[in-house]
Amino acid sequence: MSVPLGYYLMLGGVLFCIGLCGALTRKNAIAVLMSIEIMFNAAILNFVVFWYYLHNGALTGQMFALFAIAVAAAESAVGLALVISVYRHYRSVDVDEMKALKG
Amino acid sequence: MDAIYQLIHDYCPTMPDWLALALAILLPIAIVMGVFLTVFALLTWVERKALGRIQNRRGPNRVGPVGLFQPIADGLKLLTKEDIVPNAADKVVHFLAPVLVVVPAFMVLAVVPVAKGFIAVDLNIGVLFALAVSTASVLALFMAGWASHNKFSLLGAMRGVAQVVSYEVPMVLAAVVVLMASGSLSSVSIVEAQRGLTGWFVCKPWGLVGFVIFQLCAMAEVARTPFDLPEAESEIVAGYHTEYSGFKFALFQMGEYVAAITMGGITVTMFLGGYLGPGCDLPKFGWLISACWFFAKLGIIVVINIWARGTWPRVRVDQLLGFAWKLLLPLSLVNIVAMAVWHFAPNKLVGWVESAVLLAVAIVALVKINAGQTFEKRSYRFTS
Amino acid sequence: MNIVFLTLSAIMVLGAVLAVTLRNLVHCLLALVVFFLGIAGHFFLLKADFLGAAQILIYIGAVAVLILFAIMLTRNISGTEGGRSSLGGAWWLGVGLASSLAGMMCVFVRRSELVTKLPYGATEEGVVKEIGKLLVTDWVVPLEIMAVLLTAALIGAVVIALEEEKKR
Repeated sequence: MSVPLGYYLMLGGVLFCIGLCGALTRKNAIAVLMSIEIMFNAAILNFVVFWYYLHNGALTGQMFALFAIAVAAAESAVGLALVISVYRHYRSVDVDEMKALKG
Repeated sequence: MDAIYQLIHDYCPTMPDWLALALAILLPIAIVMGVFLTVFALLTWVERKALGRIQNRRGPNRVGPVGLFQPIADGLKLLTKEDIVPNAADKVVHFLAPVLVVVPAFMVLAVVPVAKGFIAVDLNIGVLFALAVSTASVLALFMAGWASHNKFSLLGAMRGVAQVVSYEVPMVLAAVVVLMASGSLSSVSIVEAQRGLTGWFVCKPWGLVGFVIFQLCAMAEVARTPFDLPEAESEIVAGYHTEYSGFKFALFQMGEYVAAITMGGITVTMFLGGYLGPGCDLPKFGWLISACWFFAKLGIIVVINIWARGTWPRVRVDQLLGFAWKLLLPLSLVNIVAMAVWHFAPNKLVGWVESAVLLAVAIVALVKINAGQTFEKRSYRFTS
Repeated sequence: MNIVFLTLSAIMVLGAVLAVTLRNLVHCLLALVVFFLGIAGHFFLLKADFLGAAQILIYIGAVAVLILFAIMLTRNISGTEGGRSSLGGAWWLGVGLASSLAGMMCVFVRRSELVTKLPYGATEEGVVKEIGKLLVTDWVVPLEIMAVLLTAALIGAVVIALEEEKKR
């Protein structure tokens, strides 16, 4: 495969920004979490890309990606539990409506 | 693939290179699809016949000799039926779901070694690939249930999702012992690691427990009868495929049966020695004999499936999930420890005894713990 | 340029864009799954087979299903937002920020000397075995920490989701 590294980096960057855009603009908390997953995946893709292009026989990039995937899974579990908890409280998952600092 | 490429080169050297390559790629796919679709058609007949015998009736016996052409008749009937899409349905998702049900089932076939030297692609992560892809069928199931906009469909889909996700965990953990024993994820090297008279993993204490767990989980994963809550006729019509008719319904049936066959194939590969058997190494007809061995073992799994379907009642949802989380999951964890005990034992006999005792104690303890509990009375939150 | 790379990337970007723009949350989820599949495909292209399979197993088998349950538990089952706008008030600010960041990244990547770098040589087939060995030797401490983290996350998620139930 002869795709230069630059294209992969741009792909990762664009995907990250799509996720960022979603995280900044969506009102639904679950949609925000989904956008964050997109950002996570773009970053993980970059780990693997750098491993593939720059590795010195070491597997550090892949290992890091593996751990990042595990952390992302834990993050989404806790995040969604929080969303459900918030929903029980406010009867809504709209992030604009969650502005009480207390109670 | 390379072997076929070589073969084509030897027999017709005049063939252009790209055509030979295309043939080498397409031929295994065609063979695998053809063989397994035939097996699927036969299986529906065998299942109906066997169930008929269990229930003291004859089963299909009108079309062809002893009803052998029944699958063809069924297929023709379903093909000519009207395809009804509910008005409220989400059209695109409703259309995609039956297609996506079939795809993972067939993708798993790519890593099942059917005969000696006959495997579509020998991935070095074969088993992991199979497990990962078979999980993906959850989404197709959910899409079908959600897109239909029907209460029963959605209930069936959510049941299916909960069930598949729960049973995935003990299934993967049961597969871990095999990976520990063979030291590889490739399905061919797993089969090759089971050579010898009692080499099959099922002949060892941890292998036997692993095999039972894996088989139960495989049955739950493809929603075979003791675990067929997602499509329980007496409760939720037909579950997630209530709103499907005609060919789409046929696709659902096909996906289910092909998934059952492929899960059986994976079970055979991992625990029953795959294509190994007396005569599988013969130079001339080794591949044929090994294929016969593979399909004979697959037949055993299929018979177990049909037998379970014919003789067990459907379980309840709480029983189903409790069984996975409270019995199978701890047992599969103990099983991994038993495998480690076996591995580090000073000699074979000690290892055998130690791991067998450990597993027996664990099984007795788990059954004892789970037997004492009674199910609390069901309370309904949303009815007054 | 490789045609496989281009097609896969196009499908992936499309999936990501749909996942952040569609109004129906279930449709968003399905687009997100397409995106996850694209990432897994890229892992296979980059010869990281194990990661590709792990990606399918974890993201499609677990995370997507989790999100699915969250959608089912918090919304009416149709997944629509009931006529209200799905975007926040200052959405143009977010879009502007993200697109300018994307533009900046592309420019910087173009200027970097890495841009035409080709793969560092073929990676051997036995990477899976190597990963397994590394996990229990050099990376054993991170692995254990990961185990603790996952357990904590599991218990934490259960506690958070259960909490309100008791009060009511």
